[in-house]
Formats: sequence, structure tokens, C-alpha cells
Amino acid sequence: MQTLRVNGYDMAYLEVGKGPPLVCVHGTLGDFRTWYAVLGPLSRQHRVISVSLRHFFPEHWDGAGSDYLMSQHVADVIAFIEQIAPRPVDLIGHSRGGHIAFRVAQARPDLLRRVVLAEPGGDLDASLAPAAPASGTPSLAVRVAASVKKVASGDIEGALMNFVDAIDGDGAWARLPTAAKQQLRDNIFTLLGQVGEKRRPFARSEAESITTPTLLIGGADTEGTLSLIWRVLAEHIPGAKTAVIPGARHWMFEQAPQEFSKAVLAFLAG
Amino acid sequence: MQTLHVNGYDMAYLEVGEGPPLVCVHGSLCDFRIWSAVLGPLSKHHRVIAVSLRHFFPDRWDGLSDTYSIAQHVDDVIAFIAKLDTRPVDLMGHSRGGHIAFRVAQRRPDLLRELILAEPGGELDATLDPAFRPGPSPLAERIAAAAGKIAAGDVEGGLTLFFDAIEGAGAWGRLPATPKQQLRDNATTLIGQTWDKRPPFSKADAEAIATPTLFIGGANTKGALAQVLHTLAAHVKGARTEMIPGTTHPMFEQAPEKYCEIVLDFLAGA
Repeated sequence: MQTLRVNGYDMAYLEVGKGPPLVCVHGTLGDFRTWYAVLGPLSRQHRVISVSLRHFFPEHWDGAGSDYLMSQHVADVIAFIEQIAPRPVDLIGHSRGGHIAFRVAQARPDLLRRVVLAEPGGDLDASLAPAAPASGTPSLAVRVAASVKKVASGDIEGALMNFVDAIDGDGAWARLPTAAKQQLRDNIFTLLGQVGEKRRPFARSEAESITTPTLLIGGADTEGTLSLIWRVLAEHIPGAKTAVIPGARHWMFEQAPQEFSKAVLAFLAG
Repeated sequence: MQTLHVNGYDMAYLEVGEGPPLVCVHGSLCDFRIWSAVLGPLSKHHRVIAVSLRHFFPDRWDGLSDTYSIAQHVDDVIAFIAKLDTRPVDLMGHSRGGHIAFRVAQRRPDLLRELILAEPGGELDATLDPAFRPGPSPLAERIAAAAGKIAAGDVEGGLTLFFDAIEGAGAWGRLPATPKQQLRDNATTLIGQTWDKRPPFSKADAEAIATPTLFIGGANTKGALAQVLHTLAAHVKGARTEMIPGTTHPMFEQAPEKYCEIVLDFLAGA
């Protein structure tokens, strides 16, 4: 694969198409292949640059080491974009990758033209959280921790099912096509890093400080905190646009690639 | 993407992993992304090189030139392998890509170490199938009708016609959104498919293959694809045959782990 050297690590990426650069950042258990379903439509108008974050496939990581950190991945994406020309670039992040994209926009608005956050992941701190807890369901962090225990004990399938069902509802893992399952399986050991990744909750002042034009996009059928976070952030990021993809859940761009691409391309062109 | 210049065309490919090179050739309406499900397991032991044939995505072909044919694609794959820094290589082809891989093995055994044909596509001539009748294949008329719709801009209509003809009424509608989009990205290649000029396999062709060959298929695949696989396997010297239970034509997407286990075992055992 093509790679760029960032912070002492060869970061792999796939680059397709011509036009203004659009850097894509996958989420938990994803990699550069996460964006395959929208590669065609997006690369008609953009140079799509789909990265694999440190320790994700094509690396076959064993989970050892202490550099799987949210701050490391943010620093890596910044160092990566610094090597892309022309800048500023457009940046899109999904789930945990949406969290990263948000942090990049906070730290280095000079690198970005526009940013798209597709159901960014994380917690809301007291300045953003609604008065009452959203529901009695355990937070995603708790489910991730449960999956990590399963990985550590060798139950890879159980770990994956627990994680995917936590996000898209009971039975979601079983419904996934085998090919999608395999891609998540290829990255299972990154979950071991995720427990100690030190992801900070979003604060109201952080959202208010974002100056990059931002689109927040979600699946209409997503449930739980992932459906809440982006809506709350949208209320506090100045001038933020929103889009909802009907009939889709958390992996909305795989479930509705045409609708997703249309919304993103309209925002980037507008 | 990375490209190699072959026969006047920049042929795109994705390269992942280290080890002995394994060149992968996709089938009709597909591209380098089709191997996504097996990229992880295979790249643990091999340098996997997944090509996109001339005019397939990331190319955006208008369907107007006469440079889409089996002969052209065979020439291109030969030129591609000849340009790699390490030879001989292992070569794997699926469906129409299996046909291409077979023809490469016929012409240039010096380039190949081992050959994997995953349900190769094509017809058997009278030396292999007494029922063979020369002339256009029974599907030719349907393909031409589908190609006509695509040429006129009706991509959805063309693909619906094509898939329902092959897999039965409603087949296109039942496909998940992600594979659908990949097929859409390659829709214009169906126009080229109408002048593919694929010669039927003959007994002499099969007997001439000197490269160690694995035939691999889905145990539930029916019709011509199953017949072609078993007939060729009976005439390629020393060929090994493996049918994966519970799978059909896209067997490596349906059972990626089992598929990789068989392929890696074959490649390691030579």
C-alpha cells in the first residue's frame, strides 16, 4: 500500500480519484476499507484519501504497546494532512474517526476546508449532557470493555457480536454479510488498545470553538448515545449543517451509499 | 492508487502484505475491492496484489472504445506480472478473472508458480462437452439488452435486467447496498462484455496447463460454473479441487476464513 511516515509510523492509505482532497478516517474496528461502498461516488469529484490509523489493518497488531491513544491518532492525522497538497483539505470521520476529526478541527483549523462528522463517538460532559441519562442501557465504553475481556480469553466471535450488537441492536452481528464481519475481525486486536485510549468527553466550549464549516450526519434508525451525540454537537458548533439518512443505522454509508454520498457531496460543493 | 503502465494503460492495483507475491484478478462487474474479505488472512503470508483490469473502477469508462476483451485483459495481466520486481508469482482469478488466469497459465507458465481458479467462467467446447453447440451463449441476448440500457444511462435498469437473468427474478433487489454500489461503479464494463470474445475451453487447453493448479468453488454452485470447474479439473494435470460447503459463486465473500485456509494450504504445500 501507499504510506506516509507520520510520527515514526508508516501510515497506510488508499488514494482514488482526482479533485480536492478528501481525507477519510474510519472508526473502531475499521480500516481504509470502511469507505469502499462510497469510494465510487465520492471519487467522482474528489481525490479520496482513505487512511488506516496506527495499528489497524494492513498492520497485523498484537495489541502490545502503549501508543493506541486518542491523542496519538489525532496527532497522526494532523501529521498526515500536513503532508497532503493542496491544503486545506476536507476531512470526514465516522464514529471514533468522527471524534478524531472533531479534535483535528479543534487543534488545527488551518488544515481544514470542511469537516464531516458521521455519528462521531464519545461522551458528552456535564456542559452538554441532557439532565437525565438517555436510558438504562450500558454505555458503549462498558460494552467495549466486555468485548475486550472476550478477546483476551480468545472468544473473538463473542467479542465482535457484543460490540456490533451494542451499536446496531441485538442481532446486528448475525445479519452482517460475512465479508463485513471479516474486516472487523481483521482489526479485533485494536480493541485491546481502545480500553486505555484516554478519550475525553466533548465539552460545550469545544463545540462552540469549531470554526471549520461542519456537516453532522447520522442514520435515521440509529439508537442510543450515537444518535444523540451528533445532534447535541450540531446545536453548539457554529453554523453546523445536519443530514439524516433514512433507513440507515450507524454504518449508514454501507447501508445507503448513494444517499450518503449525495449528502456529503452537496455539503462539500456548497 | 498505485499503478503499473501496461500496454499503454495505467493499471491500478492494491498491494498489501509481505511475502511471495499473489496476484488476484476479479471477475465481471467487479474490481480490486472484491478481494476485501480475504485481504486480511491472505496478507499475513503473502504480498497480495489485487488488480483492477482495464476499464474497471477506479477507471470511469464510457464504454465507447473497443479495448475491452478477454484477449486484451490476458495481455494486460501478462504485461503486469512481467513488470513486477519478483517472478514467478502465484495467480488467483475468480469467475471471468479465473478465465483470464487460465489463459495466462496457458501462454506464460514461466511467469507463474501456482494457479488458483475460483469458479472460472466460460464455456466448454465439443472436446470437453458433447452437448456444446457453437454460437452465442444463451445469456448473450440478455447481456446485450442490459448493456443497451446502461449505454442509454439507465444503470439501475441494466443491472436489474442482468442480475435477474442470471440469479432469478428479484435478485438485484435482494443484494445488500455495498455490493450493489461496487457493481454500479463498474456498470459500463457490461457494454464491453457484449464483445468480450471469450473462446471456449478445450480439452487440449486444459491438458496444456503445466502450473500446479487449485480449483476452488462453492459446493452449492449450480449450472455451467460448476460443470466448467469439474470438467477442467479432470483434465488439468495434478489439479486439486476443493468445494466449500454452504457457499455459491462468491464463495470467498461467503466463507472468507475457510477459503483462505484452503488457498494458503495449497500455496504453502507446493
